[in-house]
Amino acid sequence: MRELLLPLLLAVPLVGSLVLLVAPPRRAERLAAPFGTGVALVTFVVAVVAAATFPETDVPWVPSLGLRLHLGIDGISAPLVLLTSGLTALCMAYLLRIRPEAGRLRALVGLLLLLEVGMLGTFVALDLLLFFVFFEVVLVPMWLVIAQWGDDSVPGGRRRAADVFILFTLLGSVVMLLGILLVGLEAGTFDMVELAERQGAGLSRGVQVLAFLALGLGFAVKTPMWPLHTWLPDAHTAAPTVGSVLLAGVLLKMGTYGFVRIALPIVPEGAEVVAPWLGALAVVGIVYGSLACLAQRDLKRLIAFSSIGHMGFVLLGISTLTPVGVNGALYANIAHGLITGLLFFLVGAIKDRHHTAQIEVLGGGLYERMPRLGALLAFGAVASVGLPGLAGFWGEMLVLLGAFDPADPLPRGYYLVLMAVAGVGVVLTTTYFVRLLRRVTQGTSFQAWRDAVLLRDASPHELLVWAPVVVLVLVLGLWPGWLLDASDPVVRALLGGAP
Amino acid sequence: MTAVYVALAAPFLAALLGLLGGRRWPGLVVPVAVGGTTAALVAASVLGGRVVLDAPLSLRVQLADVPTGGPPFGIDLRADGLAAMVSVAVCVVALCVQVYSTAYLKGDPRYSSYAALVSLFTAAMLLVVFADDLMVLLVGWEVMGVCSYFLIGHHWEQEAARAGAVKAFVVTRLGDVGFLFGIFALVRAVGSFSIDEVVRSGVGTERTATVATLLLLCGVVGKSAQFPLHTWLPDAMAGPTPISALIHAATMVAAGIYLVVRLFDVFLQAPTTLAVMAVIACITMLGGALAALGQDDIKRVLAYSTVSQLAYMLAALSVGSAVAANFHLLTHAAFKALLFLAAGSVIHAVGTNLMPDMGGLRRLMPVTFLTMTVGLAALAGLPPFAGFFSKEAVLGAAEETARHGNGVAAAWTGWLVLVVGLITVAVTAAYVTRLWLMTFLGDRRGAAAAHESGPAMRWPLLALAVPSVLLGIVGLRDGWLPRWATRGDAGEVAQASLHVGLATSGVSVLLAVAGAAAMWLAWRRNPAADPTAALRARPAFERAFWVDEMYDRGVVGPVRGMARAVLRADDEVVTGAVRGTGRGATGLGRLVSLSQQGNVQTYLTGLLAGVLLLALGVVTLT
Amino acid sequence: MPLLMPVLLAGLLFCIGVYGVLARRNAILVLMSVELMLNAVNINLVAFDVWLRDELLAGQVFTLFVITIAAAEVGLGLAIVLLVFRNRATSSLDEMTELREDAA
Repeated sequence: MRELLLPLLLAVPLVGSLVLLVAPPRRAERLAAPFGTGVALVTFVVAVVAAATFPETDVPWVPSLGLRLHLGIDGISAPLVLLTSGLTALCMAYLLRIRPEAGRLRALVGLLLLLEVGMLGTFVALDLLLFFVFFEVVLVPMWLVIAQWGDDSVPGGRRRAADVFILFTLLGSVVMLLGILLVGLEAGTFDMVELAERQGAGLSRGVQVLAFLALGLGFAVKTPMWPLHTWLPDAHTAAPTVGSVLLAGVLLKMGTYGFVRIALPIVPEGAEVVAPWLGALAVVGIVYGSLACLAQRDLKRLIAFSSIGHMGFVLLGISTLTPVGVNGALYANIAHGLITGLLFFLVGAIKDRHHTAQIEVLGGGLYERMPRLGALLAFGAVASVGLPGLAGFWGEMLVLLGAFDPADPLPRGYYLVLMAVAGVGVVLTTTYFVRLLRRVTQGTSFQAWRDAVLLRDASPHELLVWAPVVVLVLVLGLWPGWLLDASDPVVRALLGGAP
Repeated sequence: MTAVYVALAAPFLAALLGLLGGRRWPGLVVPVAVGGTTAALVAASVLGGRVVLDAPLSLRVQLADVPTGGPPFGIDLRADGLAAMVSVAVCVVALCVQVYSTAYLKGDPRYSSYAALVSLFTAAMLLVVFADDLMVLLVGWEVMGVCSYFLIGHHWEQEAARAGAVKAFVVTRLGDVGFLFGIFALVRAVGSFSIDEVVRSGVGTERTATVATLLLLCGVVGKSAQFPLHTWLPDAMAGPTPISALIHAATMVAAGIYLVVRLFDVFLQAPTTLAVMAVIACITMLGGALAALGQDDIKRVLAYSTVSQLAYMLAALSVGSAVAANFHLLTHAAFKALLFLAAGSVIHAVGTNLMPDMGGLRRLMPVTFLTMTVGLAALAGLPPFAGFFSKEAVLGAAEETARHGNGVAAAWTGWLVLVVGLITVAVTAAYVTRLWLMTFLGDRRGAAAAHESGPAMRWPLLALAVPSVLLGIVGLRDGWLPRWATRGDAGEVAQASLHVGLATSGVSVLLAVAGAAAMWLAWRRNPAADPTAALRARPAFERAFWVDEMYDRGVVGPVRGMARAVLRADDEVVTGAVRGTGRGATGLGRLVSLSQQGNVQTYLTGLLAGVLLLALGVVTLT
Repeated sequence: MPLLMPVLLAGLLFCIGVYGVLARRNAILVLMSVELMLNAVNINLVAFDVWLRDELLAGQVFTLFVITIAAAEVGLGLAIVLLVFRNRATSSLDEMTELREDAA
């Protein structure tokens, strides 16, 4: 019975999506949001059960190629699965009252459910090609969501943003596929668990480096790593609120998860060789993202660039190749998913009300006009800065600690420099978020906004949708032990050390 | 240990309740806030009582152990004499501030969040005080920083408040990054985050200790507003005055000093760091005092005075005397909080911060006048007020180190601290007298009618005046201070004693009187004007030696420029590269398409050529 | 008869056929040249079949296949050329450039 749990997890949203497809159009349009919420909640419940029981499924899929339908969940994928199903459920609940301007709710909900299948599949797949399939499944629904339900506030419009997103990611994925094939054919198996246990035995050094580069490129585009980040700001800014939340909250995690699950354990020698470069590019991303945020004029774009900075921290943690660093990277992953998801919800709400996200047009005084929204924005900003007591701190701190003392074959002085620059990045992050709060929430409002009658504060429905995220950010900030207890043994095993 | 839990939990719960339900039930805001702080005070007093009765006290508890993949950290708490003393001081000041605020911020629309944040701040400070794990301490440390940010920016309608809040947060965060790295250095050397472990086993080599302590010093310099990260404190005065009293006089800024005291064993292993500390302290001491001399805003005078007095504490630590630093920390908390609250009373009555618009308030606000005079006398270091004794402890320790050395700190640091300290005594007395004269004596200059403040604002002043007078004498009683100012180990208790040299005390009193007299004489010439107006160096004092301007030009400007450059680079270069690849691919396609001429025979020629090549290849290669 | 002679003849005919296919403009001439190439191949097949004294006479059987298919193919080819001529009044290959990539 337990073996059916993970296929069930994937089947529920898939069936939901198909039902929406075949249902009669008018009724489906009316009931799309409640139906989607129901399906997402069921998925979440299944995910909780799966996270508690750690089931595993392993059936032959394509025997002639040696591919198996191997699904499993452990200490590092469980939080991600919960994050995915939770955020999707919240997005669906959000859609219950807040309709997107372009309408066609049925199609949107169906696409989001498909997206969920892809995201969940990526995190539970334990076979390389199965992982690749799910990795690619998310691309087309996301492209459609951005292209059809996005807005044209970016140069070139939403179509261009969506096109750049899908082409960039596809390019990375193709290279990643080559890496997967290289590893699979050289090692003789595509099974991740098997390959992770081998820790690269049987693969020559050259093969490992090449494979890490190929796999890394694919994951790096998704992460995104500087300089492969250009798709992110436009995609995030153009996407609708629920699209941005899922894009930032989950899709970005798939790249770094791939690093930890696939690249580090399967080709460790390749990781040793490439890690310093990875670390350097990660730190460049941190500082670059922070500086770009400092001069940013569009609110959504600012949050998008802040994602680049945060994922830079995650990459830095991965590049240290130590349990501390990787634990920190995984923690920062989850924290970023929650915090930036919340921020995108809030910024999306602000944008929907004012019909603009330009800071100069918005002006200040959000505390005055919409105190609850302003307070939540301040909370999100403070959490994103990495304040201790909220979720963002532990990830950043452990990453920096990992960089302070990286794995033995890596040059320590070099990593100390990286750590110092990342520290500067922390100060810059503080600066731009505080500047954001000063410009948008503090001060006095423009008269035009004060006169606008329809500008209302956060409704009870919205507060209900955002509350779980806020609570989780607080809880994960005060009790880091929960996540760390789960991820530590798995990380140690993946890095090849004794648990 | 339950006392510690109560002390931590009560203000935190009060904060939570205030933040969540403050708007819905405004009537409950004051009781919850004051009640939470009172509970914390009671708990801290219980601990204090235990110290008085059966010292020394040393309790530890380990609540949880969190794995990190490397050295684990735990939620460890400790209660000893030092913690008890500081926690009592914090709670007393916090309670006075909460009570005072009910009157000062009466009618403020955001009072509920204000009170809740003050409670949260109190909880965070107590966490720092009771922490026995570096991570726990860091959590409390940073939460204080964010509360400070929100509280300074309480009146966010005003530009000065917004700017001050941003500056405070960013500058302290800059120091905090160094602090974090210092923690890493310690953890790597010791293998554990536990403060107890760090202190017990010490750090291996002097080099590691120096690196770690220098990095920790960054955090101290930031939080305790020492040169060169002192610029945020005067601008933080844009916040409400009770906040200035709580955060920026008595508690948060003292957290840096507290940290050094807690980890003093590590600092004692690094004489280089102590020397650096001494130099920083001396620059700040004298610079802050001189800057205070040139300020017109009464709160800014007190702010620079705080910077200068904190430097005294840092100087005491740099010559190796944690006890003297603790003593001064305690007395400073009392009289500085008193001074700020009294200044708030004055500001509330007169409606302005500027001293040129005050004057003649002696008759109109007698209680405020009396209590503020007590506080100012303590600040100037006049006997028998508390400030005299604690300042003498610092100078005495410096003299001791200068004459005999103390094994770690170099003798020259002792002489430096002693000389600069004595000069600063004179300058301190001067600016104290200036403030006293311009605010209370002479004729009334401003237009607004002034009257004494209500009871909610008066009683905290009187309450704080008592320790400002008596605390010094208490500290000299044999054996009392060591109980409070140490971690409770027997060896340390025996070592902790105050050296008060008669000669130094005499010289410092003379200097204080001289400074006050000089200011009084200058004032007498023209009671209506600023006594320092004639000083040629006054512009330098007023602009605090233009440190702010240097930061603006040297740091803020370039960073802003880099940010704009990055944005432009991202828009043009990187996007251009992306577009370039697209265009390149299309161009290449166009090149290749040139071979499509449309003529079948051309294609067939190509085909033939290919076949010939293949045949040739097959024949030659096989 | 030595093998060289038929092979030489076939090669000669093949080359003439290649020249005709690649260099002549008239479509019908190109088709004729294709026929020439095919027949050259036929000669080659028969010659080698005799020289190898194949039991199955595979070469000669193959030749019959080629003759048949060539006949069918040239029938279709001429029909296409005829239709093109009817529509465009030209049978010059240089003028049939629909496969060309336009510069625009």
